[in-house]
Amino acid sequence: MAPGKSDIATGLLADARPEAAVFPLDDRTAPPRPAADAPCAHCGLPVGPHPVGEGPHFCCTGCAVVYEALHEAGLDGTFYRLRGLAREPRPARRPADDLRLAELDTDAFLAEHTRPAGDGTRRTDLFLDGVHCAACVWLAERLPFEMEGIYEARLDLPRARLTLRFDPAAVRLSDAARWLARFGYAAHPARQQPVARRTAEERRLLLRLGLCWALAGNVMLLAFAFYAGLDTAADGALATAARWTSFALSGIAVAVGGSVFFRRAWASLRLAARARRLDRLHMDTPIAIGILVGFGHSAWATVSGRGEVWFDSITVLIAALLTARWLQFRSRRLAGDATERLLALLPSMARRVRPDGTAEPVRLDDVRPGDLLEVPAGEVFPVDGVVADGFSTVNNAVLTGESRPEEVGPGAAVTAGATNLRSALRVRTAAAGDATRIGRLMAWIRSDDGRRAGVVLLADRLAGYFVGGVLVLALATALAWSILDPSRMAAHVVALLVISCPCALGMATPLAMAVAAGRAARQGLFIKSDAATQQLTAVDTVVLDKTGTLTEGHLDLVAFAGDAAALDLAAALEAHSNHPIAAAFAAARPAAAALPVEAVEAAAGQGLTGRVGERLVQVGRPSWVAREAPIPPALHHTLGTYATHGHTPVAVAVEGRVAAVLAFGDRLRADAPATLDRLRRAGCDVFLLSGDHDAVVRSVGAALDLAADRCLGEVMPEQKQAFVERLRAEGRTVAMVGDGVNDAAALRAADVGIAVEGGATPSLVAADVFMTREGLAPVAALFDGAGRVMRRIRWLLGFSLAYNLAGAAAAMLGLVTPLVAAVAMPVSSLAVVVGAALLHPFSPPPDAR
Amino acid sequence: MNVLFLLVPLALLLAAAAVAAFGWAVRHGQFDDVETPALRVLLDDEDGRADAPLSPRSSSTL
Repeated sequence: MAPGKSDIATGLLADARPEAAVFPLDDRTAPPRPAADAPCAHCGLPVGPHPVGEGPHFCCTGCAVVYEALHEAGLDGTFYRLRGLAREPRPARRPADDLRLAELDTDAFLAEHTRPAGDGTRRTDLFLDGVHCAACVWLAERLPFEMEGIYEARLDLPRARLTLRFDPAAVRLSDAARWLARFGYAAHPARQQPVARRTAEERRLLLRLGLCWALAGNVMLLAFAFYAGLDTAADGALATAARWTSFALSGIAVAVGGSVFFRRAWASLRLAARARRLDRLHMDTPIAIGILVGFGHSAWATVSGRGEVWFDSITVLIAALLTARWLQFRSRRLAGDATERLLALLPSMARRVRPDGTAEPVRLDDVRPGDLLEVPAGEVFPVDGVVADGFSTVNNAVLTGESRPEEVGPGAAVTAGATNLRSALRVRTAAAGDATRIGRLMAWIRSDDGRRAGVVLLADRLAGYFVGGVLVLALATALAWSILDPSRMAAHVVALLVISCPCALGMATPLAMAVAAGRAARQGLFIKSDAATQQLTAVDTVVLDKTGTLTEGHLDLVAFAGDAAALDLAAALEAHSNHPIAAAFAAARPAAAALPVEAVEAAAGQGLTGRVGERLVQVGRPSWVAREAPIPPALHHTLGTYATHGHTPVAVAVEGRVAAVLAFGDRLRADAPATLDRLRRAGCDVFLLSGDHDAVVRSVGAALDLAADRCLGEVMPEQKQAFVERLRAEGRTVAMVGDGVNDAAALRAADVGIAVEGGATPSLVAADVFMTREGLAPVAALFDGAGRVMRRIRWLLGFSLAYNLAGAAAAMLGLVTPLVAAVAMPVSSLAVVVGAALLHPFSPPPDAR
Repeated sequence: MNVLFLLVPLALLLAAAAVAAFGWAVRHGQFDDVETPALRVLLDDEDGRADAPLSPRSSSTL
């Protein structure tokens, strides 16, 4: 999507030099013509049948001119990176298909996902994939002008959420979605509950925050009067009124804002008491003690009319800590929303075949075992079942990680989550919903097994010692002053407890984590929890899945031997097939599609025969081709090599003679070896775990210098999970990187699960971190960044501790008054805020340089 | 200084009004999305239609 692209292009075309866009043409080495759906180098749209340019291809002269102008000025690197950034936080795109849209019109959808909005209209939220700029906002919000029955459309751009108010009697939602799809925006029904709950929670916190700051401001104003010299003795009535007003206002602040800390402190106290261990206390405990002691003492001073009041420090403290908490909450929102959006992508509809042979869309919840379903090519199987009718190729990569498609026919078993590649199938349902294999996996992922309860954040680990230390100091102060001057003992102990209330200490972790999560999201790394950031620095073992992380994840021509001309002939023939190998052919020899081909015949699961020009050509499995045409010994040997490397071998025979042999495989990513070296140098033990064939995994491992016992192939999802759990049982801290559904369980079992975008939805949901940048480089950036975040947090914690220690020492000496506390506390908090805000932990993508 | 007995409660009433306004704004989702409105002002309010969804008048989202 690049709305407005053509305007810019034509505008530039008027005064740009068109010849600048023309690339040197050399007939002898003319590069192949790109496929019609290859992306334009500037705007990313398909170039179409008549691409512009010879090197990089463009969809139009305008794009070529812009690209050339940027390139000449040396601005292209940053431009394309920045433009890429804006698009990155958008999870997996999938075209809106009719089946998905059909759900929007069902009564069940109306009942579950829309709510009444008056006048018989209803309101609903849709996730809208592909929105990223002001033009998208404009286009999406044009909807009411374009369609009768839609009264309002509001787009929340960062969360990609479109809120519609519509009249169900006048318009069908699927028509609105179809209208949006025409512009490239795919709409998915938003599952209401989790998003709504998070929004409500965030609003409540923000409301408290606003109230607490208003109270703090007014209490501070009143406190200024005391600091300026308002004296109880000289101006009794006014001073007493000011104290009582402050008392009332602070009372509200403590009740509304402080309760957040009291609840958590109480829970932590009970936990510590049950475990009989002081170090189970977390940071909210000293905060709660400080608030309670300060408020209690000030309240007593107000009632009795003697002693000092600390109301201003207390209220500012509550407001500041709530702010840190709210910022942290908000920074998590992007990752949380993205997860919801991913869940919305899971298929929720199926096509059930009626007795008369026609198909009707039904909700997946209504599908029962025994139902006959239709699954067109390109769609995902909604259920586990057995093929009843039809032949096709099925990609099981989602469940097994095996990237090579499988041939299926009547009687073959298919699993939910696999993709039907070639032609429509009818499937007899064996299990639906949570009873399917993938359903059981998802249920386990969703279940909260509390495995992360063991991860204690650094600051919370300090809290126990902190409480102990403060109590000892308070005792020492009480003892010392009871000897020196018993009348001032209580005042100094309270001063100590108030000044050592860990405001800065309590803010350091949430603030730094919030900043880090925000910065990481901008780099395409979505970190879902603070615990994950902390665990990343402790990782000593990395388990990698092969596809999606180390390899490109699709078939490619990786090697060939023999006559190069035969390759073109084979590619010409394959242009008439929709087998996955054909796509690899098209990518490797795009120009060949133009050759004249006739009499193409396909042998299911074997290969193709046909005439290209004058010649009879046969492409397919070597064993099948060899029946008609003998394979020369040299090529036969090459075929053996291909097989040991785990590639898919293909033979090409021209006029009854095998002219070339080819190997198709999943190509290694360019950045994989370097990143792997970096991980190993950092002291990480690297394992390669894949559902792919053993030979494939071993050859990939060998290319990466991994020992053979570190590379395991043909591993089932359950075995992956067990493997990760075994590593953890050995006392290792394990990070698992993967992208398939087959990795989801292992991602969840690992200390830190990292999923790569573009992979399967469940794995993204199961992971603690997911990345919208492909390859391994972002994984390394993630490890480095987490290290930097934790270093900064340790630094901030150290600073706050030192500050508190100095404050405590001053309080013990009797130097702390309410005025000193009112100045000292915000200063330390400010230092921590600045320290956190200056954090830039995650390095930008490599093409920025 | 006795005027303070009037002024302080007045100031507090003012603050209460501000908090009430803030509460209204939060409850009506004014802080849920702080990025899109910044882009929305760039869009022209063409047609001049009063019910145009681009105008802030119909901005209540819930």
